[in-house]
Amino acid sequence: MMKSFFGLLGVTAVIAGLQAETAIAQERFDGVTLRVGTFGGPWRDSQANIIAKKFEELGGTIEFVLGSPQANMARLIASQGTTPPIDMIEILDANLPVMIELDLLMPIDLSKVPNTQYLAPFQYDEMKVASWATQEGICYNPGAYAELGIDAPTRYQDLADPRLNARVIIPDINSGGGLANFAALAYAGGGDGENVAPAIEMIRGFGPVGFWMQGADLVTGMQTGDLLAGVSHAGWCIRAKNAGVDAAFVHPIINDDVVGVSKDGWLGIVKGTPNYDAAVWYVNEFIDSVFQSDFAAVSGVVPVNSISLGELANDPILASMMELDPAAIATQLRIDYSTVDIGTWSDAWNRGLTR
Amino acid sequence: MTARWHLLLIVPFVVVFALTAASQFVFIERSLYEQRSFGRVGTELTLINYANFLTDRFYLNILWNTVKVSALATFFTLLLTFPLAYVIARMRSRWASVLIAGVVVSTFVTIVIKVFGLRIIFSSNGAVNRMLISLGITDRPYTIIGTEEGVVIGLMHFTIGFGVLILYSVVQTIPRSLEFAAQVHGASRLRTFWRVILPISLPGLVAAALMIFNMCMGAFTSAALLGGGRVLTLPVLIQRTVMMETKFAFGGALAAILLVCVIAINLLSIFILTRMVSGRRKVLA
Amino acid sequence: MSGPRRPLDFGRWALLAWCAFSYVFLLSPLVIVLIGSLSGGEGDYAAVVFPPETLTLRWYGRIPSDQWQALGVSFVLGTVAALVAALIGIPAALGLVRSNIRGKFLMAAIFRAPLQIPAVVTGFAFLQLYYLILRGTGIELPGTFAGLLIGHVFIGIPFVVGAVTAVLQRFDTRLEEAALILGASRQRVMWRVTLPAILPGVYAGCLYAFMVSFADVPVSIFLTSSSTTTYPVALFFALENDFNPAILASASVVIIFSLAMLLVAQRLIGLDALLRSGGGGGRG
Repeated sequence: MMKSFFGLLGVTAVIAGLQAETAIAQERFDGVTLRVGTFGGPWRDSQANIIAKKFEELGGTIEFVLGSPQANMARLIASQGTTPPIDMIEILDANLPVMIELDLLMPIDLSKVPNTQYLAPFQYDEMKVASWATQEGICYNPGAYAELGIDAPTRYQDLADPRLNARVIIPDINSGGGLANFAALAYAGGGDGENVAPAIEMIRGFGPVGFWMQGADLVTGMQTGDLLAGVSHAGWCIRAKNAGVDAAFVHPIINDDVVGVSKDGWLGIVKGTPNYDAAVWYVNEFIDSVFQSDFAAVSGVVPVNSISLGELANDPILASMMELDPAAIATQLRIDYSTVDIGTWSDAWNRGLTR
Repeated sequence: MTARWHLLLIVPFVVVFALTAASQFVFIERSLYEQRSFGRVGTELTLINYANFLTDRFYLNILWNTVKVSALATFFTLLLTFPLAYVIARMRSRWASVLIAGVVVSTFVTIVIKVFGLRIIFSSNGAVNRMLISLGITDRPYTIIGTEEGVVIGLMHFTIGFGVLILYSVVQTIPRSLEFAAQVHGASRLRTFWRVILPISLPGLVAAALMIFNMCMGAFTSAALLGGGRVLTLPVLIQRTVMMETKFAFGGALAAILLVCVIAINLLSIFILTRMVSGRRKVLA
Repeated sequence: MSGPRRPLDFGRWALLAWCAFSYVFLLSPLVIVLIGSLSGGEGDYAAVVFPPETLTLRWYGRIPSDQWQALGVSFVLGTVAALVAALIGIPAALGLVRSNIRGKFLMAAIFRAPLQIPAVVTGFAFLQLYYLILRGTGIELPGTFAGLLIGHVFIGIPFVVGAVTAVLQRFDTRLEEAALILGASRQRVMWRVTLPAILPGVYAGCLYAFMVSFADVPVSIFLTSSSTTTYPVALFFALENDFNPAILASASVVIIFSLAMLLVAQRLIGLDALLRSGGGGGRG
């Protein structure tokens, strides 16, 4: 129903034959209502079209609890002490430590999640299974760069060019890719999760026109010509390109060993769920390649399933903007939020960059 | 009239007070425990979160900024809406209802969508900047997102519809005969407005101003989107503290401080205005 | 404009110019949205192009079905919330303006309190309260229409109180006194004199309570379930990871639909007459 903005991907027929048929397929969920905490809009629609349909064939129904992962986490915190309102929940990497600290999650029986075979080892453990990723970096206008005689960027630092002053936009720390990019800037500037001062310095040096709250700000800005470059995830750059903007995406070099930045989404099972088996089933279906390919195309994120990564590589625009090689993806910068207090980042940002 | 009007207050007051107190209680109770990282809170009652706020110039500055942009937005909203409400209320043609409808409809559209329009209008090649540059007012394209002016404009878009409606209903209660009388005695229209309409509608104007000010002090979406992450107001900071940092205890303290400040400002302004006005005429009794 | 006319009334023209400016300020972003919703572009996905190079209506056919359903939810919710807020707010305003009890100003401030609590706090605080009630009594409010309604009534009450108070403070009590002297009962005075006179304020307050309900995201996002998703929340979800002309088309539908509804209401109820009499009709 929801149309892919990448265009038709094809090849799904071939892939269908590769689906791992396991014993789980025979399991039935008659009368089960599984509550899934996830984003709304197209994000929900592709789950409804593919996974929920399959679940209905097995006798159950899916009820979506819509909201940002933070809002759904707040729902769980409010409901502690009663039956949780959500069985399976989408989690942002930055919120994972809080969810574990507050004892909101329970272990996932990975023996019933055979699709983890298409994931890299770092993408699943007892408490969580990766669901999607956004690749953060620099979206810029190559035509305008050439006119001004500026070389294509390779690092965040290249945005400090005085000719780009007031024509660059950075994500607000409280927006989609805010935390990941902020941390990446800190690492790129020689700092780390404990020392984010280099990120503040660097952002000041860019002289950005502002900080975006919605990715649409970047697309509109590049389209009106107000912006020549911006920091965002590849999905927004693809949208800009689809809008007819001359746009290209760069995975920034962070240091000698690390290129590119990945922000990972995760799936978890809520402690106290009365529908544990169905929740585990849903996790497995979420990382199934048929769903992953459709979902990635509709939502502008990078799939975690290696088969889907291969499929997306056939799309020229997509392949030019996203890193789709599993080996390269594995070495991208990932922030371990269990060792940092994002409150201190936010505080540093608020004091250093707002007026 | 010495009817027992206060009896009418009982039910509404109980409802509003119970809902406010009960919902805020859960939230503010948490603010009495020390905030630690990863969403944890301490176990002993303490006022440390409040102390942290009140001893930090950074937070006090945000509070001051919030009051400032709210006051500015209130002033400009009244400046735009009072004449408009007056003209519409005094119109005899059916265009009056069309004009009111225009105001109402603009409020139906969420600021999230309006920001797109504002972004286009204020883009460097947009209408406003072309005009400003050709008039020589500025040589650099002016942008509103991420400035205090931008936040004020965003708040005005949030409150202006209400301003027009409430002032329209106020002007309607002023008998036209008063204006005729003034004009028959040779007062110009402008003078009539200043000397007759304005004083007589002052109580309504004050009520509207307080409502608009309060709306601004609690506004999140317009302040966040137009502030572009650069201008922090207290509601924006609260949203960050609660949703991004999962610091419910500190967020609770911020919410309590905002609530107390706004109630204090309300009481203070009513007190001052009553004093000022009572010399001339007892309107606020 | 009425009253004695002068050949060259500077004040009048200044006033009209000022009003025109207010309208441009208010409506220009909407005009951009309306035009943007017509922007062409190829493929299933296109970003908004402004000014549009080609014009098309096809985005209107691509407004997702959940937004249409949410529009219905929002309409019912806003209407009921405004009516309930009026039932609570009108007596509150009468009591606040007319009674002489002490602490009136503090009470007035409490009636305004729902405005000052940042909406995101209101939403989360109500959700916590609902779970507290659920644990204590078993009454289920989270994710229900009733729970959503209570939250919206809460944020709507200050508008009714504020708008009615503003009118009441201007209200000439001699009218009531005259009626009483003429032998009308207090109740009759209330229904036949007082309430009709404050009607403009009631209209303004209700209309705004409706509008605030109709535009709210931060409170609703915690209180909705998938079957009670409100329109602005659905729009917010759609915007979270996409931005295309279908979103502007959806917003344009609201603009056109509400404009049409207001004008039809004006025709049917004949608010013109009310406007002319100067006796009421804040509804437009």
